[in-house]
Amino acid sequence: MNRVADWARRYGALIRNAWLVDLQYRASIVLWIIWGVTEPTIALGIWWSIAGDGQVGGYARADFARYFFALMLVNQLTIAWDSWYLDRWIREGDLNYRLARPLHPAHEAVAENIAYKARSGGMILVVWLVAALVWPAVRLPLAPGRWTLTALAVLLAAAMRFFISFATGLLAFWTTRATAIMGLHGGVALFLSGRIAPLTLLPPAVAGVAALLWFPYMLAFPVNLLTGAVHGTAAVLHGFAGQLVWLGLWVGAYQLAWTRGLRRYGAVGG
Amino acid sequence: MMFRVPRSAFRVLAALWRLNLAEELQYRANFVASVLGTVFWIGTALLTLALFFRHTTRLGGWDYWEVVVLLGVFNALTGVIEAVLRPGIGRLASEVRNGGLDLVLAKPVDAQGFVSFRRLDVWHLTDVVLGLGLAGYALSRLGRVPGVLQLAAFVVALAAAGIVVYAIWVALMSLAFWFVSVENLSVLFDAVYEGARYPVTAYPGALRFVFVYLLPIAWTTTIPTSALTGRLGPEIAVAAAAVAALAFVLARLLWRAALRRYTGASG
Repeated sequence: MNRVADWARRYGALIRNAWLVDLQYRASIVLWIIWGVTEPTIALGIWWSIAGDGQVGGYARADFARYFFALMLVNQLTIAWDSWYLDRWIREGDLNYRLARPLHPAHEAVAENIAYKARSGGMILVVWLVAALVWPAVRLPLAPGRWTLTALAVLLAAAMRFFISFATGLLAFWTTRATAIMGLHGGVALFLSGRIAPLTLLPPAVAGVAALLWFPYMLAFPVNLLTGAVHGTAAVLHGFAGQLVWLGLWVGAYQLAWTRGLRRYGAVGG
Repeated sequence: MMFRVPRSAFRVLAALWRLNLAEELQYRANFVASVLGTVFWIGTALLTLALFFRHTTRLGGWDYWEVVVLLGVFNALTGVIEAVLRPGIGRLASEVRNGGLDLVLAKPVDAQGFVSFRRLDVWHLTDVVLGLGLAGYALSRLGRVPGVLQLAAFVVALAAAGIVVYAIWVALMSLAFWFVSVENLSVLFDAVYEGARYPVTAYPGALRFVFVYLLPIAWTTTIPTSALTGRLGPEIAVAAAAVAALAFVLARLLWRAALRRYTGASG
């Protein structure tokens, strides 16, 4: 019990710190939100005009609108910039004093993610609510059970994307192009995680490949859960199982990169 | 007086770019990385188009190869942005913040000109070549050979596009004088410029209005491409030139207002 209280205290301090640092750069956060809104807006604009008055692969205009609004929110709540931070920490030596602290540097990164997502996710939610007031197409039916499941799926997706980003950032121990690798991952994820289109609109072979990888679980699954495209106990369980398996594998990748990389870093540093 | 360009400006520019070239030639691996990066991003853009055209035969009234011509033009402009604008004026926001701009203002040259064209990341010019090559290939797949008049209109519209993009950067970076804490203003450009990847007719009315009149990115890709493929008559080049001139003057005025603010702030 005491240990739980200790960790709550530590995380409380870390999150408050991250929140206050962010608060100094309010305009910056607005920029990142605009960035997070434009990509789905452009994709929605194109699909909107393609769908016309008919349907594309079962999606009418209103379905696309709901899909991309959900995507906007889920993406903002699960996105992780840690590769870029780690790359800088390792290259410029900022990792050194973080290692000297009695707390693993990953906790600071997690706290930063929580503070950032609370703020930016909250703002996207406000954008969505305002849009829903004037635009019935983006309203979701009231379904608390579904929203609870979505919250759980978003949490798992956020954890997975955090470990993907963290583990890839750790490649900076070996190469100077770690952020470029993360960029390539983002390029592939554009298609396979559902950022450019719902996965059912991809050619079947590509969708088949996506289903074997972690991409759908980091974005498309929580989004489809929220819009109602994934329903039925079997499909929901399958989605959560996939999330758990891939989360486990990426945690393993992170642990491997961390222990191996730190040994190497120590050797270089002295 | 506002637009007088002294001859010494070209000498300064030549000297700066010669130094950049010498510096960049030391890092030839960057050339390979840059080309690979471009090929990857052109690839994803083509796949995105292929995905859209799986479900439609026309995008905003344009057929597949017409949009690929546009993609080539987009990529050529991206090359200019990455080679000149981002490494030059793109650094302005952080210089306003940490006072590095003082060093620029102390130089006996036009500050806007110096800030804008001080760097040339020469490897990114391969994007221009690859982009124009893609546009040429798509044009041949369309089976359209542009006449002399069309080519001339395209060249004028493309130059105008470059000026419009430049004006957008100047206007955006001028905001740094008001919002000092913002270091990554260029993110805003990247976000909005994604919209120039597709013909402006493919968007719903509200977005189309924004892209033509408010953030005039339609003039950077849709218009030059239309001039090249003959979708619009060659007289559109005149309109493009006028828009470019207007954008340039507005950006220059904004820059001057911003700079007055900086002087006021530092004492």
